[in-house]
Amino acid sequence: MLHPMLPLRVLLSTLRGVARTQSGRVGLVIVLLMVTLATAAPWVAPNGPLDLAGAALQSPSRIHPMGTDNVGHDLLSVVLYGGRASLAIGFFAALIAFLIGGTIGALAGYLRGPVELVLMRIAELFQTLPVVIVVLFIVAVLGASFWLLIGAVALAIWPLEARIVYGQFVTMSDRPFVTAARAADLSTAHIVLREILPNALPPVIVQVALDASLAILISAGLGFLGLSDPSVPSWGELLNRGQTYLDSAWWMSVFPGVAICIAVLGLNLLADGLNEAGNPRALATTARLQA
Amino acid sequence: MLRYTAIRLGYAMPLLFGVIVVIFCVLQLVPGDPVQAIVGEFPVPPAFRAAIEARYHLSDPLWLRLYHYVATLLHGDLGFSFHLQQSVLSAIMERAPRTLLLAITGYAVGILAGILVGIHAAITNHRAVDRAWTCAVLVGYAMPSFWVGQLLVIVFAMHLGWLPTQGMGPLISRANGFAWFAERAPYLIMPVTTYAIYEGTRVARLIKASVTDTLNQGYIVTARQKGLTRAEIIRGHVIRNSILPVVTALGYSFGTAMGGAVLIETVFSWPGVGLLMIDAIRMRDNQVIVGVVLFVAVCVILMNLIVDLLYFWLDPRIRLAR
Repeated sequence: MLHPMLPLRVLLSTLRGVARTQSGRVGLVIVLLMVTLATAAPWVAPNGPLDLAGAALQSPSRIHPMGTDNVGHDLLSVVLYGGRASLAIGFFAALIAFLIGGTIGALAGYLRGPVELVLMRIAELFQTLPVVIVVLFIVAVLGASFWLLIGAVALAIWPLEARIVYGQFVTMSDRPFVTAARAADLSTAHIVLREILPNALPPVIVQVALDASLAILISAGLGFLGLSDPSVPSWGELLNRGQTYLDSAWWMSVFPGVAICIAVLGLNLLADGLNEAGNPRALATTARLQA
Repeated sequence: MLRYTAIRLGYAMPLLFGVIVVIFCVLQLVPGDPVQAIVGEFPVPPAFRAAIEARYHLSDPLWLRLYHYVATLLHGDLGFSFHLQQSVLSAIMERAPRTLLLAITGYAVGILAGILVGIHAAITNHRAVDRAWTCAVLVGYAMPSFWVGQLLVIVFAMHLGWLPTQGMGPLISRANGFAWFAERAPYLIMPVTTYAIYEGTRVARLIKASVTDTLNQGYIVTARQKGLTRAEIIRGHVIRNSILPVVTALGYSFGTAMGGAVLIETVFSWPGVGLLMIDAIRMRDNQVIVGVVLFVAVCVILMNLIVDLLYFWLDPRIRLAR
């Protein structure tokens, strides 16, 4: 049986490894800070996201550090609350993409043969269309709601995940420890979940972090096009409104964009850190090059 | 060469077929009337409804409907846009050159800049220069393309007043050839820069990793021991070998560039295919939306074909392994 504390211990050791790399440290701090601020928005934000805080289109001041938007909301508050939607979309879309892509990649990589052929062709098919176009099409035809957007983003990015899991499973299947497990007559489920998966995971986790950043960028794009759920404040939706006021209220476009940038940057740095931590050889190579 | 092209074409066609099947499946998920799902949310006149039903064989079972849908679209019959009062194909073809002008120019500038930056960052001996490039690329990577566009508009059009904010210049113009281009150049600068920043950061990242990798290869050591100068090694050995992964990524990234067109064209009101799609989404003109998705798919598939042939020409190993 799996020791109940094992996943926690693995998580802690991974985090320790990430914190040992420079980019991982910065990325971890940024991501944790963003998540904390978004979660604590009701306590941190000066106003509610729908409260009228003053006159519309005020430039940044001491009372409204980011100014006010075209309706008169305090922009800082809307940006803080908007972080909840953007980060949630990033998290859930990456999670669903990991589940779909991971399952398909693992099946293709472990079973090989016709299953591999069919599944990887489907993945290739989805990669033919640019991610933004897939999401736009689904949302345009089926309507914009929060969960549909998450599903659409996941549907567009799962092939990235599938390719990596597939590659890992193909290499791992030939390793001696898998042959040994097969010889010991362990069940397929045991071999896949307990033997291969833990060893295949490091690069997959890196991709999950990258997927989350991609999902945040895409959802921002959809929001900018006016296709996000109108009842949920988000960074993209702010940029959509800001477009009308580029000439008079630069702060409406600048601050939400900076927030997106920081979130995406943080996740990318975290991915770099995870990559270095999970692959010490890469670290050694860079060290050698710099010497 | 011809045989190779034919084989690659054989790979490309099923992809296009698959894309249409996916589109069909998503349209099946639209609740309610299938005619409305195909056309969008318009009041459809009875004559038009009958024509649609006949064209797509809507009273047939699912698999027959799929067959007819694929066949109709593959014949280039994308339907008639009720909203534009124009056939969908002609609406797309009218705007396609504008999108391609923007996307290809931005793509080319971005790739060139990205290659130069990536190589420079990889071979520089100054740690500070390397760091500066790495930071710039990381930040550039994290910026949403349309937001870069907005920033450019705020700075260069609103505050400095150097460039026009939107559009692509006079729609009707007597100028042709170079004068036509000169007339539009000011309108192109900001959208192209936006594209180039987006594409360039991605290419720079790839090239830097690739050049660093190449520099560690045995043949570079050999070249150095042969007494070649640094410049000779970089020109003769490093660049050509490092560029292959970028070429591989070209097809996929061209797709991303076409997808980015939707966002960038919206920022600058560039009247291309992307703006057509956004208009269609607002008007719920589903046939146009499907048309644009197909147009992008065809562009990506064609680009992948070109990339395969480029590869054939760049990498002798493929030529010999036939």
